[in-house]
Amino acid sequence: MSNFEIGLWSFPALLVLLFLRVPIGPAMALIGFCGTWLVTGTPNMTLAQLKNLTFGTFANYSFSIIPLFLLMGQFATISGMSRDLFKAAEAWLGHLRGGVAMSAIGACAGFGSICGSSLATAATMGQVALPELKRYGYSGRLATGALAAGGTLGILIPPSVVLVIYAILTELNIAKLFVAAMVPGILAAAGYMITIAILVRMKNEAGTVLERKTFEERLLALVRVWPVLMIFMAVVGGIYFGFFTPTEAAAVGAAGTGLLALFSGQLNLRKTGDAILGTAKSTGMIFMIILGASLFNNFLALTQLPQNTASWVGAQGFSPWLVLFAVLALYLVFGCIMDSLSMILLTVPIFYPIMVGLDFGMSPDDFGLWFGILVLIVVEVGLITPPVGMNLFVINALDKDTPIGETFRGTLPFVVADLVRVCILLAMPAITLGLVWLIY
Amino acid sequence: MFDVLDKTVGILARAMAILGGIVLILLIAITCVSIIGRSLTFVGLNQVKGDYELVELGVGFAIFAFLPWAQYAKGHARVDLFEAAMARWQNLVSDLASDLLLLAIAVIVGYRLWLGMLDKQSYGETTFILQFPIWQAYGAGVLGMAVFTIVSVFCVLRSLRSFGGAS
Repeated sequence: MSNFEIGLWSFPALLVLLFLRVPIGPAMALIGFCGTWLVTGTPNMTLAQLKNLTFGTFANYSFSIIPLFLLMGQFATISGMSRDLFKAAEAWLGHLRGGVAMSAIGACAGFGSICGSSLATAATMGQVALPELKRYGYSGRLATGALAAGGTLGILIPPSVVLVIYAILTELNIAKLFVAAMVPGILAAAGYMITIAILVRMKNEAGTVLERKTFEERLLALVRVWPVLMIFMAVVGGIYFGFFTPTEAAAVGAAGTGLLALFSGQLNLRKTGDAILGTAKSTGMIFMIILGASLFNNFLALTQLPQNTASWVGAQGFSPWLVLFAVLALYLVFGCIMDSLSMILLTVPIFYPIMVGLDFGMSPDDFGLWFGILVLIVVEVGLITPPVGMNLFVINALDKDTPIGETFRGTLPFVVADLVRVCILLAMPAITLGLVWLIY
Repeated sequence: MFDVLDKTVGILARAMAILGGIVLILLIAITCVSIIGRSLTFVGLNQVKGDYELVELGVGFAIFAFLPWAQYAKGHARVDLFEAAMARWQNLVSDLASDLLLLAIAVIVGYRLWLGMLDKQSYGETTFILQFPIWQAYGAGVLGMAVFTIVSVFCVLRSLRSFGGAS
């Protein structure tokens, strides 16, 4: 078997391990280790690498950003801002048909601006908004569906842990990626709200329509959420204006949400401990995957599979758009069974060199930003599609009266909204890149 | 007997994670102080010396310290597509195999890190600005890996035990 074939066979081998429920990071590490052994005939190469690889990966200034953003999200959850965000959104949208559900989406978007994780956004907003939605007479199907979808705004709207990882893998500017995600993020929130507007008209939802609030009341509700805006501006603006590095921005953001939680009176020793343990669990998982992925990718580089595939695709003269569609479709399918982070870590080192070599009539830098946002959206669709869409289960667990099947059906319209958005962004790259061009 | 062990290992993993978290919070404070100092250079303040190095090494330690808890709390992401389709014993075997794999990783990675530490010690390598000996940072990582190994051994026992019917 040639090295190239060994590289090729490693994928089915990895998939079998994953389907047998071996954790993703360790599975990649095992395949990487055994694959390198097969190619070089000895385990020594990986063993020698491991003397410094682990430390070099963990004690790495770029990667330091990840636990900091995770802690930031944990503190944001404690701070109680989710309630104020929901009230603020309600003051503006509550008088519309389906307005309370739209407010939940708006609040998710707001919370996503200080939290980089989809699950945390779904769980936090779900706790606040779900009882309210039920109280106003929304069906479990719409309520859980909307919140599960709203949670995905957490990773689309910056800061975003997945975008950070994509930026590190592709060596793109994190600030530019955050800026590029902004308009698609707002578009996503708007798309979900339109979906709700259509749904309540089609299905005749019984959801109560609130009284229209006066302008003063609306402003007052907005003033209450100013800390969220401040923290968001400090983090994203600070990176953009070069006041600090992305890692420093994450530290500032964590300090901001930490102080917010402290001043809200919610933060005690126990909750601080819980925030740390929550951070520890996610960080441990993510870095186990990063370590596994780097062993796996080292092995793949050794087989020259990525280079050969890239030149093969280039030589075939495929239409670039066809390749892009195929890659996005692949992400969509695998997103349904794998978590977004592992998928990005596993595939971007292989796909990115191929994709960036194709001609889409834009600079490699622009293409990287555009491709990153598209990939991010298609992988987060996986979070709200069965069988393993985590958001669905997190939200459904909060609502005892709604069977999981109802939640599955409830999110389908939002998946359609996601796909429509992907098509719009595909057709008009300027939507993603316009803001980047404008301010850079 | 098992419950005592479970509790002890749980406390150990939790304590290690909290220690890492405290380091993380300290680094956040240092970073904020450094940024404030840097923006107030006109009144004679300055950034914290070697702040990037501190963050890099400190967060590195925190991540090593977080690994035991992620393992104890069953935090590792996996594809649960076929969980419902597999028989109970098949799931148990898969759990056991996964825990054995993690134990192997803990032992191998920990031992290689230890060797890496000895290398760094013999070279006397230090960080650029603070002249902090790198082998000590490796040593802190080895501590995390040691606890990770202990927790991983326990997790194998925990998986073995669930064959007996306990969940």
